[in-house]
Amino acid sequence: MYRKQVRRRRAVLALLIVGSFALLTVTYGQGSDGMQRGVSTIFSPLLGAADRALKPARDLVNWFDETFEAKGRNERLQGELETAREQAVGKKAALAENAQLRKLLELDRSGAIPSGYTPVTGRVIARSPTVWFADVTIDVGSGDGVEVDDPVVNGDGLVGTVEAVTGGSARVTLIADHSSAISAKIVPSGTQGVMKPTVGDPEDLVVDFLDSEKLVGKGQSVVTAGWRAQGLESGYPPNLPIGEVVEAPLREQEAQQQVHIRPFANLRDLDLVQVLTGGARE
Amino acid sequence: MILTPNILVRLVAILVGGVILQLSFFSQVTLFNVTPDLLPALVVVLGLLGGTLTGAVCGFWIGFLLDCLLIAPLGGASLVLLATGYLAGLFRERFEIHSSLVPPLLCLGLTLFAELGYGAVELMLGADVQLSALLIKDTLLKAVFAFFGGWAIYLGVRRALRPALVEDPAVQRSRRRPTVLGI
Repeated sequence: MYRKQVRRRRAVLALLIVGSFALLTVTYGQGSDGMQRGVSTIFSPLLGAADRALKPARDLVNWFDETFEAKGRNERLQGELETAREQAVGKKAALAENAQLRKLLELDRSGAIPSGYTPVTGRVIARSPTVWFADVTIDVGSGDGVEVDDPVVNGDGLVGTVEAVTGGSARVTLIADHSSAISAKIVPSGTQGVMKPTVGDPEDLVVDFLDSEKLVGKGQSVVTAGWRAQGLESGYPPNLPIGEVVEAPLREQEAQQQVHIRPFANLRDLDLVQVLTGGARE
Repeated sequence: MILTPNILVRLVAILVGGVILQLSFFSQVTLFNVTPDLLPALVVVLGLLGGTLTGAVCGFWIGFLLDCLLIAPLGGASLVLLATGYLAGLFRERFEIHSSLVPPLLCLGLTLFAELGYGAVELMLGADVQLSALLIKDTLLKAVFAFFGGWAIYLGVRRALRPALVEDPAVQRSRRRPTVLGI
């Protein structure tokens, strides 16, 4: 009797393990399949309702966290303010450069959208709980015109790209996810490279393969390159703000340089985002 | 664990409720810049109360639901969480638990195991990335959150599944076999 139980237990365990590997093999890199869409369609309204109902409690917890963090941030900001004052007084050229950069970028932080794109506003309703994935689920999907590979932004800048869609929801892979790789451009130098994340730290992105002959300095902005060549084109429209350079180590005798950037968008705390639908596909 | 239709309904409610609460609440709050992940702790508790089979099956379905709702590739979370549930169940079957510290400590340890497991699955699938040192801090903090969360989850789930639990605490106390953290 006991042996029979043990055999049955082992059989179930083996079945589950084989099932997991089979699911992984079948669905990896496939986006969403019918079964997943069905489950997601059933639970999305429930998830959306829970998201709205729990928002006050979430805000309360986040308020405590931010208040705690603000104490430490206060001292750091004092130091930064001193530095900023020195720069403002001693380096007016930097201010002029800043104005030029703004003009060059022609950015409207209140939500300017590249021509040809139709923004669809969505709310984050779920987020991956593990440290290894940086993706969120939003409450707009193919029923709202969202398609796979659509870029996603918020008021601060680029957030990620749509990886999979169902009728009423979509998975957005954030720019801090390990699978993300974006062709980026440093302004004003115009040098281009590939931006990849550092897993575990959403505030540290790395732009690699930059031409070392063009100097890149701390504080310079990074935008999407939005290249187009021989019928191929980047999935992102050009000049979407991504972040600013925070570390640009000088490496002599190397043809390519690597810089670290901090994204403008706070990827840990996303609420409302805009999916840029349409664009070059239309 | 004695599975009756009533207990099955409760189990399903715990699984679905747990995943929805994780995705719509815990995953969206930050404490010390880390989002708590209490699903491994829930699986550990179910494994501790129900044994290897219950732990593994619940882990598999929680992972499946998680991947479905995140529209992520299926199977990865199932694999990690079924192993987590199985290990918790194995612990329950090998040792008797005489200290109330055991469930939260197991939640802590097996949350670490699960987070490393997620990483291992990603590496197995060919992820090629730079890792930040902050990853260690995040993983450790998640385990600490699981310690405290696991305590509450253990009490709540044990209460919800009490009619199905095979071993009565009074009976447990009377038997003195190899113990963990027991005196």
